[in-house]
Amino acid sequence: MMCPGESIAERFKDRLAEVTTTANVVDDPRVLAGYSKDHSFVAKCRPWLLVYPENKEEVQRIVRLANESKIPLVPVSSGSPRFHGDTVPSQGGVIVDLSRINRILKIDSRNRYAMVEPGVTYGELIPELKKQGLRLSAPLLPRPSKSVVTSRLEREPVLIPKYQYDYLDPLLTLEVIYGTGDDFRTGSSSGPGTLETLKSDKVNPWGPGSIDFFRFVSAAQGTMGLVTWAVTKTEVLPSIQSLYFIPIEDPDRLTFPMDQLLRRRAVDECLALNNVNLATILAEDWPEDFKELKAKLPPWTIITCVGGYQRRPEERIGIQKKSLMKICENLRLKPQTTLPGAEGKETLVLELLSSPWNKEPYWKLRSKGSSRDIFFLTPLSKVSKFVGLMKGVVAKYCYSSDEVGCYIQPMVQGRGCHCEFNLPCDESNPGEVAEVQKLFMEASETLLENGAFFSRPYGPWADMVYGRYAEGVAALRKLKGIFDPNNILNPGKLCF
Amino acid sequence: MTLAKHIYQMLESVVGPEYISDREYILSAYRRPMPQIDKKPVSPQAVILPGCTEEVQAIVRICNRFHTKYIATVTSLMPMAFPSEPGTVILHMKRMNKILEINEEDRYTIIEPGVRHGQLKPELMKRGLSYPVASVGPGASVLANFTSTSGDHHVQHGTSRTNRYLLGLEWVLPTGEILKVGSLASDAGWFCPDGPGPSLRGLVKGWGGQWGSLGIFTKIAIGLDPWKGPKVMPAEGHSPSFKVRLPQDCHRMFIFKFPTLDKLRDAMIEIGKAEIGHAVLKFFNATAALLATESANDFWELWNSGLFQRELARPLYVYLATWSREEMAYEENVLKDIIEETGGEEVDESIRRIYKDNMDFFIVVGFLQRTLRLGGGWSPTKLSGDSISHMFEVGKAIPEFMGEFIEKGLILNAPDNWQIIPMEYGHLAHIELLFLFDRGLPNWGAIPLAFMKKSAETDIRHGYHASMPPNSQSLMEQLGPLYSNYHVWAMKIKEAFDPNMVSNPLP
Amino acid sequence: MDALENYVYTMVSCNHCGQCKWILGPKMRGWKYAEICPIHSRYHFDAYSGQGLINIAQELLEGELKYEDGLIEHIYTCTTCGACDINCKSIRDMEVLDTILALRARCVEDGQGPMPEHKECARLVEKDHNIYGRPHEQRFDWLSRDVQLSEEARVVYFAGCATSYLHPEIAHNTARILNAGGMEFKVMHAGEFCCGAPLWRTGQIEASEKVVRHNLETFRSQGIKTVITSCAECYGTFRGFYPRIAELDFEVLHITKVIQRMLKEGRLNLRKNLPMKVTYHDPCLLGRLSEPYIPWSGQIKAFGYHDPPKLWRRGTNGVYEAPREVLKAIPGVVLIEMTRNEENAFCCGAGGGVPMAFPDFALWTALERIDEARSTNAQAIVSCCPFCESNLEKAIGTGNSTIRYYDLTELVSNAL
Repeated sequence: MMCPGESIAERFKDRLAEVTTTANVVDDPRVLAGYSKDHSFVAKCRPWLLVYPENKEEVQRIVRLANESKIPLVPVSSGSPRFHGDTVPSQGGVIVDLSRINRILKIDSRNRYAMVEPGVTYGELIPELKKQGLRLSAPLLPRPSKSVVTSRLEREPVLIPKYQYDYLDPLLTLEVIYGTGDDFRTGSSSGPGTLETLKSDKVNPWGPGSIDFFRFVSAAQGTMGLVTWAVTKTEVLPSIQSLYFIPIEDPDRLTFPMDQLLRRRAVDECLALNNVNLATILAEDWPEDFKELKAKLPPWTIITCVGGYQRRPEERIGIQKKSLMKICENLRLKPQTTLPGAEGKETLVLELLSSPWNKEPYWKLRSKGSSRDIFFLTPLSKVSKFVGLMKGVVAKYCYSSDEVGCYIQPMVQGRGCHCEFNLPCDESNPGEVAEVQKLFMEASETLLENGAFFSRPYGPWADMVYGRYAEGVAALRKLKGIFDPNNILNPGKLCF
Repeated sequence: MTLAKHIYQMLESVVGPEYISDREYILSAYRRPMPQIDKKPVSPQAVILPGCTEEVQAIVRICNRFHTKYIATVTSLMPMAFPSEPGTVILHMKRMNKILEINEEDRYTIIEPGVRHGQLKPELMKRGLSYPVASVGPGASVLANFTSTSGDHHVQHGTSRTNRYLLGLEWVLPTGEILKVGSLASDAGWFCPDGPGPSLRGLVKGWGGQWGSLGIFTKIAIGLDPWKGPKVMPAEGHSPSFKVRLPQDCHRMFIFKFPTLDKLRDAMIEIGKAEIGHAVLKFFNATAALLATESANDFWELWNSGLFQRELARPLYVYLATWSREEMAYEENVLKDIIEETGGEEVDESIRRIYKDNMDFFIVVGFLQRTLRLGGGWSPTKLSGDSISHMFEVGKAIPEFMGEFIEKGLILNAPDNWQIIPMEYGHLAHIELLFLFDRGLPNWGAIPLAFMKKSAETDIRHGYHASMPPNSQSLMEQLGPLYSNYHVWAMKIKEAFDPNMVSNPLP
Repeated sequence: MDALENYVYTMVSCNHCGQCKWILGPKMRGWKYAEICPIHSRYHFDAYSGQGLINIAQELLEGELKYEDGLIEHIYTCTTCGACDINCKSIRDMEVLDTILALRARCVEDGQGPMPEHKECARLVEKDHNIYGRPHEQRFDWLSRDVQLSEEARVVYFAGCATSYLHPEIAHNTARILNAGGMEFKVMHAGEFCCGAPLWRTGQIEASEKVVRHNLETFRSQGIKTVITSCAECYGTFRGFYPRIAELDFEVLHITKVIQRMLKEGRLNLRKNLPMKVTYHDPCLLGRLSEPYIPWSGQIKAFGYHDPPKLWRRGTNGVYEAPREVLKAIPGVVLIEMTRNEENAFCCGAGGGVPMAFPDFALWTALERIDEARSTNAQAIVSCCPFCESNLEKAIGTGNSTIRYYDLTELVSNAL
């Protein structure tokens, strides 16, 4: 039986063939199935088509065609597994997979930035930067197929809070194709002139003029525009590094040490993982290693790293170490160079902090094949409150609290924090899925009511958040009406 | 053009008779021409002093109802703070002046529009905290600087521009609705300005600020950094000859000179990569002479000696501020390594002494307005930002157009009077070219326009991102196509959010 | 006196920086006590400020502003404390206060000003040579037999109207101190007329010039080389106004400087213990506005160059240290500073003819100052001006405050 959209899809497929090569237009149901769902509670929905544009001009023409035909477009840049539901269509439509627009356009080691297309992944970019003595302030263990551009656009938290000055940092400028088909360049990429004549390094994110256009496409789940390249900050690669681990028993004592370290800029990487997540990440043989590690690791581990760069690195690292030790001493904490409960895995940890995840399956899927993640922003001071609330909700369900992973990532110099709970889930067990879904919804509601900020409202969070934010919805819809008046870009997401 | 009586009465019923006036002698303080332009601002029809957000909202709704234009202002320091069209009322936000909260734990403060740098800075210093203060003097509004205007400061190298530090906002939209953005949207507090989802905060500020054309901000939160200095400003002496010295064990000031701009640029880049230095900048030299002297005559004596031209043509100011002596020793060693590699040397001790004795240059820059001492004829241009490398490219092209104005005697002979301030450890930088002209010249009003035009033309010709068209409709339409047609989108946003075009429409 | 036209350079140079309203950067201490302009603090509109008044002056000159209802009251609400002037001069070459005073003089010339109460004051000065209309012959009733005078002395103690008629104890204590320190001095008796301050500062230049010339002639005829006063208004007027009328051939000293010198030279001994915490209020005309006026006329050339060079009165050398050193020399006295002190002292509200014409606002201003004094937890507020005393004591009297006011001469006299 034909789906309601199939005749439209057929016609659109023909039109797409005018834009790009036919090999780039896919209607194979087996391939489309891969985009119809992900590891989230967003309802399954099969797209009608998939197209792989190869350059900006093709993207622009696709968007214009979609406007004429009022066909929804859903942009995707990263490979699977995907977790947030933002790339699962709500209303059918066409997946615009940007992964073949994948050039590293520039790496500038003097001015410390990289300009990349959306298809460039962490797996590709990190080694190229390393060759030039650079690194990224990257998220924790991105999958190798994760798009750097998407990650930056979606305001994913990064591991080195001292490099982050606001929640969009390290994203700088970008080029976007709006839902109207118009192209636009933000900040100091805007002009004067064309990309060919413009001499700027495109690193000033603000403007042009009195508006920060780049903010409108951030955490927008592709509803405002399709980004065809972006510039991101890079940092100097340390020449020497030392990891320090701080075991913490009580979550009430978890965040103050991180706050104090970050106020002094005493550390580079700074994060905390509970034993579940740390064991999941470190286990070699599954599940034996995992169980043993989980039992031996302290309930929480703060992981910090100090480094020396190119100039007098030993002196620098010596001072950082001293500062870290003094701060911890004042808090009666003992940072250690060996990882308590996982001695001998220190080198592995250091590698993991600077690389994408390189095993199969992705670490979040190791436990039960799937995971549902709850994450939000909060000041560091309130993290323990949310840990307690989550524990309280979990206790009401047939879900063991010692299966819940937790990741605390300070952001923006330590003035904010990404707080994440991971719920491994066996998707082959409908009962468990239903239970996890109820738990997920109740936990999300409870956290929201108690001041958790779901700044990236994926899936069911959108209704929860926007249901309480009428004036913001009105304002966002005004913007949507400007940048995508026909609502062809990922309709049904957020409040659109 | 007087305000209609019934509108006046409605506005009066909101704030009370004491807080509104349309008397000419009251309005006279809001319509005097600034010394740097020869155009007289449009007179407001009335000035209103709201006392709370609800009053602001009520006033904005009345203005929408009657299509009365309005603009909010606090200090009115710049020409753009005045009405751009007749038929405008001014909301003077002075009465809304509370520091609502200083949250030392989560490092933010919530303030109203009337709070000044001279009030907030010392309250935070007492608590070991700080924030980026634009170089505008202690009487200027913190909120206006963060939300509505441009303005950079000397201590951006280890921190950043105000853009990064703006957190939660309470905002009366041009039509009178109250919008909260970021974490406030979910009653989650003030700590995050972006979200949920696409960041509405993008409507605010950009690089240069909306100057009141997208409604009125009634409360903001700003992020705070730790402050390494003393709890109280350590000033000695009397005005205007204050000395402000900081303890040398953890606060040291250096000024170096370089034989070429390329070497100066290289030093600046290397310092950023080494992640040392609380403040790093190439500062203006004529402005430096103005700040260092106590009268125009004193300035001329100093300037005619040639010392500042010789020593500060290609200067690098570095202020190291650390938590410990050991850190200071390390940063100083790294700094010396870099200076040696790049061919820098220290400037004359008499100049270094000026700054060591006046570290307020890095705190609130209380004496910044000395820039106007030479009769008030001054104007900044360029004012945008990009990488350090690019800003130096822009700087090197300045002689291409500036020389002509100097030769004709139209501006002060100060070709090196421009500054570059890097931020975020050198990830990007801001450039400003300051030119000074004599208001005694015939037709002096044409000088700043002509100069800024030439400056912009040079940037456009080279493809340099150094300046943006000012917030004027005709200029934006003329130059907007060179900047991705941003003016088209900006106008659509304006029309969507201000359909009655009452919130300080663009001139 | 300079005409209003002479201040056009000041008028066109203002750029709205706000320094005339707010505390100087190096003196900032927090949210409270950060405003330095009384009228701006009270009324908020920019027109109520140094900036606002010079804008009014410019519009009047250009004919854009006419004399309208409320304008004269507006111009005369200012206490002429000069905080705006000194703060502006920390960064600019402008004469804000002189513009305001010239504006007032222009209002009087145009027959629009001053306030009726000020006109009455001029009438009283004309008739009785004092601002209160009290009998001139009672001016020296404070002079008791124990005061030793020296008719050959070239030093005169000038008491002034407020001291003589309202606070005679100041005069008596001053005389006692001078005697104790071995200073030979005389008084002018009936020759002492009002110094002219209230007339000068309300724009009544012709009337003030009369009393000035009288006093100058009296000093000359008596061969006076040093004038000592214990009144800040008189002090600041001798230094800041008299040289605009004629060149002075005598030195003017405030009693605090005299005491300071006596202490340094060992001629005065403060023995008695007066245990108390005090805070010191800098009177405007003793502090920031007390530097000698030096006439200047010339051209302001390109880029603000003054030809010939002008010597600016920026408040740097006001009498700040002397009273403080004297206080610290009194056994038991502990001095605690207010935030707004020295050149940024907040006016007491008594200057510029304000108490006569706007007593409510004068009181409001004084209450602000008393509030600041109380914030230091001092038991007493000390100053050196009978005008300050009158206004601050009124404020203390209206509230529940337990803080006391002392003139510095009383404390010194008590400590002898």
